Amino acid sequence: MSRVLVPCHVKGTVALQVGDVRTSQGRPGVLVIDVTFPSVAPFELQEITFKNYYTAFLSIRVRQHTSAHTPAKWVTCLRDYCLMPDPHSEEGAQEYVSLFKHQSPSVTFPKWLSHPVPCEQPALLREGLPDPSRVSSEVQQMWALTEMIRASHTSTRIGRFDVDGCYDLNLLSYT
Amino acid sequence: MLQEESDLSLIIAQIVQKLKGSNLYSQLERQAWASLQRPEIKLESLKEDIKEFFKISGWEKKLQNAVYSELSVFPLPSHPAAPPEHLKEPLVYMRKAQGSWEKRILKSLNSMCTELSIPLARKRPAGEQKELLNKWNEMGTDEPDLSLFRPVYAPKDFLEVLINLRNPNYENGDSLSFRTHLGLIQVPLKVKDIPELKECFVELGLNIGQLGIDDSTQVPPELFENEHVRIGQKVLAEQDSAAAQQYIRQGSPTALRAELWALILNISSQPEDVLYYEQLKTNVIQHDLLVDSLIYKDVKLTASNDDYYFVFEDYLYQVLLCFSRDTSVLSHFAFNSASPPKSYIRGKLGLEEYAVFYPPNGVIPFHGFSMYVAPLCFLYHEPSKLYQIFREMYVRFFFRLHSISSHPSGIVSLCLLFETLLQTYLPQLFYHLREIGAQPLRISFKWMVRAFSGYLATDQLLLLWDRILGYNSLEILAVLAAAVFAFRAVNLMEVTSLAAAEAVLADLSTLKVMPLLQIFLFATVT
Repeated sequence: MSRVLVPCHVKGTVALQVGDVRTSQGRPGVLVIDVTFPSVAPFELQEITFKNYYTAFLSIRVRQHTSAHTPAKWVTCLRDYCLMPDPHSEEGAQEYVSLFKHQSPSVTFPKWLSHPVPCEQPALLREGLPDPSRVSSEVQQMWALTEMIRASHTSTRIGRFDVDGCYDLNLLSYT
Repeated sequence: MLQEESDLSLIIAQIVQKLKGSNLYSQLERQAWASLQRPEIKLESLKEDIKEFFKISGWEKKLQNAVYSELSVFPLPSHPAAPPEHLKEPLVYMRKAQGSWEKRILKSLNSMCTELSIPLARKRPAGEQKELLNKWNEMGTDEPDLSLFRPVYAPKDFLEVLINLRNPNYENGDSLSFRTHLGLIQVPLKVKDIPELKECFVELGLNIGQLGIDDSTQVPPELFENEHVRIGQKVLAEQDSAAAQQYIRQGSPTALRAELWALILNISSQPEDVLYYEQLKTNVIQHDLLVDSLIYKDVKLTASNDDYYFVFEDYLYQVLLCFSRDTSVLSHFAFNSASPPKSYIRGKLGLEEYAVFYPPNGVIPFHGFSMYVAPLCFLYHEPSKLYQIFREMYVRFFFRLHSISSHPSGIVSLCLLFETLLQTYLPQLFYHLREIGAQPLRISFKWMVRAFSGYLATDQLLLLWDRILGYNSLEILAVLAAAVFAFRAVNLMEVTSLAAAEAVLADLSTLKVMPLLQIFLFATVT
């Protein structure tokens, strides 16, 4: 299964607030980030990866083209996905997150694993059972990864701290 | 489902990789080969028969203990996109603060080096090596001139750094507002409140037997103590780490403690371990390090002056000098926000092939460091075993007490937990102490940094450290600190200065820790 990074353009954040941006004193709690895919042929989005910076909840809306004749419409893929369980503390504040396209909803996942889509059935997903060849290739990929880790050299330390018997040092470095 | 499996297989792969480099792996291999001689091992069902043999002979249990040990120590695998620094410490501003703090320490050490014209490391001439070898068991009798050496830092210097920690994304403002923390720590880490602590430390509850409470002379031993000892012996016979960790939450009988701690920490003195320790000893004999003088000074200033620990002075040198040369300690820096100091062989500045860590284990001792070892001397008398236990305690727990991180057992979280508990459940006391300029953390910080070593009576300290092992967390230190303040609240309400508050809390040697903890968590009206 080949997964390719899709070139995208991430626009700056825009605050959502009522009233005049300049005069209001409060800080908006909702920001919008537009992500566009400039010159790419239609593709199927598998995974979104990002590093959080103090965002508590995330919603994702996607505008997709279904066919040539109907106009593109906005679909909500994710609504209020919790990134920080307690927004006033540091938990999850700077974590790396991956969101996957997945069919089977499940009970609990570690933070960075897939999130089952809540109420709205996103139009992105296919109908019916997952494609068996895709499932088996995903499993194969994971096993390849585990074998790779297993094959890499062991963690035994030899115990030498000197270089060829010499430990005559300068001063400590600051870099 | 797929993602759960892949996460699990990643954890398994990591643990397998770690264990493959261990003694246990080669032992298991040897055992498997040797078992082929046994009549019950048949070629047709080789795999199953060997597995069965491992189960019966206790080797499976050893493997289970090793896996459990890895799970306790190693953090969960992180996101594939996360760089190694993220595993050390996820918050960027904390990493930066730790980096600046380390730089200060390095500068301090470098200036000591140049001022005193003493090299960081020096190969000992043959005569000196022989002399040291002869004196190995009585290094305490040495009285080197340490007057020019000063500790690289003391806990109070570290506290100042923690007080100045700021999250750049958190609007604090200079003026006091409802968002400012009333204590000294100003970073918004998540800490538990008493209901959550009660859930976490459920085995310390009022209706559960505890050593440190229910083994006192007034309580007949048939009520709890005898049965608890019997269970402890059974746990030791089973050699099950996980069971031992659960058991020790109610405290360890004195006679069983050494073995129980070794079981929980998965330390079994193999000949290879003794050899490894001897190798470290050889390294000490061959090379003299500047940090050795810091260790000497620390031992002389702290443990040697302590009524309980001065008898162990020689052991302390034997452990700490070897600890500085142990490169296996370097592996814990993968999940420690700190990084080992780097240097280059003289004349080869900047050449990576000549880059080394200094000291070899990457840990620069500070004032009071030897107190992490001292209590262990009551339990272990064989130097290599004592050494292994200390090293494991350090890479599991103690390193968190002197590095800046957001970990729930890190010193920053402990400080915030202490202050929050005090402020929430003893608001009048907290307010009063603040008003008289005696911020409570200024008094309790030194207790927590040393895990109360040197402040409590030894038997009480060991009961406390039982729970650290049992719960695999240092949070109990913050809870105890708050409980001590609660206990002396009446006296503290009457003081009018920081010095007077310090005096009220100067002597903790008469305190009984388990009743204090139990009352604070389970019997305080909130």
